[in-house]
Amino acid sequence: MAIVELENVKKVYTLGKAEVHAVRGVTFTIEKGDFASIVGPSGSGKSTILNLIGCIDQPTEGIVSINGTCTEGLKDKALTTLRHETLGFIFQSFNLIPVLNVYENIEFPLLLGKNRPGKKETKEWIEFLVEAVGLADHMHHKSNELSGGQRQRVAIARALATKPEIVLADEPTANLDSKTGQSIIELMKKMNSDLNTTFVFSTHDRTIMEIADHVIELLDGLIVKNSRTSAEAGNIS
Amino acid sequence: MFLTMKVAFRNISRQKKRSFLLAGAIAFGMLAITLMNALTGGVVGNIRDNFSHALGGHVFITGREWTDAGQMIMKIRSDANLDRLLEENASQIEAFTRRSQAMPSLIFGSQQTMHMVYGVDFSEEDKLLDSLVVTHGSLDELGSKDDLIILPQPVGERLGVEVGETILIRLETLTGQQNVGEVKVAAFIEDQEELGLSAAYTSRAYLNTLLGMDSHEYQMLNMFVTDLDFVEGFARTFREGLRTLEEEEEEEAEPAVTVTVAGMPLDPMGEQEELTPWEGTRYQVMNINQIMEAVELVVGVLNQVGLVIFLILLVVTMVGITNTFRMMMIERTKEIGTMRAFGMHQKQVKRIFLWEAVLLGLLGCMAGLVLSGVFAMVVGSLSLNTDPSLQFFLNNGKITFSLPIGSVFLNTALVVFTSLLAAYWPARAAAKMSPMKALSSHT
Repeated sequence: MAIVELENVKKVYTLGKAEVHAVRGVTFTIEKGDFASIVGPSGSGKSTILNLIGCIDQPTEGIVSINGTCTEGLKDKALTTLRHETLGFIFQSFNLIPVLNVYENIEFPLLLGKNRPGKKETKEWIEFLVEAVGLADHMHHKSNELSGGQRQRVAIARALATKPEIVLADEPTANLDSKTGQSIIELMKKMNSDLNTTFVFSTHDRTIMEIADHVIELLDGLIVKNSRTSAEAGNIS
Repeated sequence: MFLTMKVAFRNISRQKKRSFLLAGAIAFGMLAITLMNALTGGVVGNIRDNFSHALGGHVFITGREWTDAGQMIMKIRSDANLDRLLEENASQIEAFTRRSQAMPSLIFGSQQTMHMVYGVDFSEEDKLLDSLVVTHGSLDELGSKDDLIILPQPVGERLGVEVGETILIRLETLTGQQNVGEVKVAAFIEDQEELGLSAAYTSRAYLNTLLGMDSHEYQMLNMFVTDLDFVEGFARTFREGLRTLEEEEEEEAEPAVTVTVAGMPLDPMGEQEELTPWEGTRYQVMNINQIMEAVELVVGVLNQVGLVIFLILLVVTMVGITNTFRMMMIERTKEIGTMRAFGMHQKQVKRIFLWEAVLLGLLGCMAGLVLSGVFAMVVGSLSLNTDPSLQFFLNNGKITFSLPIGSVFLNTALVVFTSLLAAYWPARAAAKMSPMKALSSHT
């Protein structure tokens, strides 16, 4: 079952008087439970595609469907709700809220929605996540008291807090050393397996992309390779 | 709402120095307006107290009657109706005094001067005695001897008299005969001439003798009420209770406006009354608020000026808050993007900034109020030996501060509203920011 569908998606940015064609028409699907990697050099359109899947940007042309919902024409309120209910985010520079501690950062997305779980349930779930990312001893630390790897672990737990269908990670290892980066990808993979959450991450590190079971390779805004290590491979556009 | 408030509260402690300066600016404005209001409130209270002590009450009743010779005189005799009213309203009366008054010539050697003299029963005038500031002599013998007088210091200086020396009092009796008496100067007191309250005090019994009245008679009944908030109603009770049927008919025919100052009727009805003498005693009842109207008018203007200064300060602070919040918005762009990505709605982002503004405003107000309290306590504990005329604004030589709770709430509401207004546009801009642009920001 396709949880992410992009159909002939194009994205053009205006930079001064010039137009930048960041994505030139891509079509692909990501199945539920995929551990998908979008790879390519800088400027190939990785982040733009993640932004489009993450509903924080809209395509100039084409259709983006997330978990069966077409994002075309949706207002900010509906997009925000869709993000909250369906998506989790992991950023290259962690983007933790500096005034909140580890527990509060993870709890943060849970407090944004209208249908919040009960206090006890929330506490148990967050403690489970904190345990799962190996930060049980740092529950009440602020982000500036953590190392880069620890911060990204918090970010992973935060991304999973609302039990989203899809977690998007934009170059999650770029600010980490290779060993820590590897452990972060392994943690993401573990969460993917344990919780059956779809992970889509961008990277230009070939060693890391090998762990993915679905690789979409981009160059100059076009897909040059779309392959699955499992059963079937998707279309190449 | 709890989440946005929590984040806002944490954000305030993020840049402590900046928050301190912003809240400090608000606190300064609050300090200025609070002190201004409290000082004027205290001054009004002190003037009211000092007036009431000098005049011997909060509610003043004078009685007038016509003599057989067709003269109108000020006199209150024994009156069952008045006694009944006093008895019925005893619970609202803290104390009352009965006074006579005259404007005699005071003579010592070749010097003489005219001055207001009140005849008082010193045994019922504790408040008066407490409020007098004695410069020479003593008030100790006043209760035991009748022929003593307390003179304002400048009057004593004009006459060239010393404490213990005797002066002559020359006056007209109520019926117009000349009369002369002798009184010994017991003490000199600080004068409140600038406020039109300069008066000498002697015993009522002795002044009554000189005025040709019986010792139990008097000209003014002055009452201190237990609660000043009800002084108007209290005065009305007496006014209506003492009004004769004849007066009621006259008032219905032509409503009268009576202007009185310091217990002395400045009477536009005078001519009318001369034309229509009445039987028995007619009473005039006035209260301290009527005397205080002019003072409160001046104080009201002062408070208005204070409010304008406060508003100017607030506008200046508002510019500071707007700039700071714009800076904060730029600093937190990426954070806003992150929160939006996770599903924070635009109005929630706006709410974080607005909560910060509210909390800063409240913090500033609280700090301003605390500082005002400390300032008032320190300044209020100092005894000031200022010019005697200034003593009338003080309470036993001390500045007092009195702040109505309503003005605290009003000023706080103004500060919070201004802070909200100042933060609104940056908050709106933060909320409207595209999540994508915010996330790709380098701040």
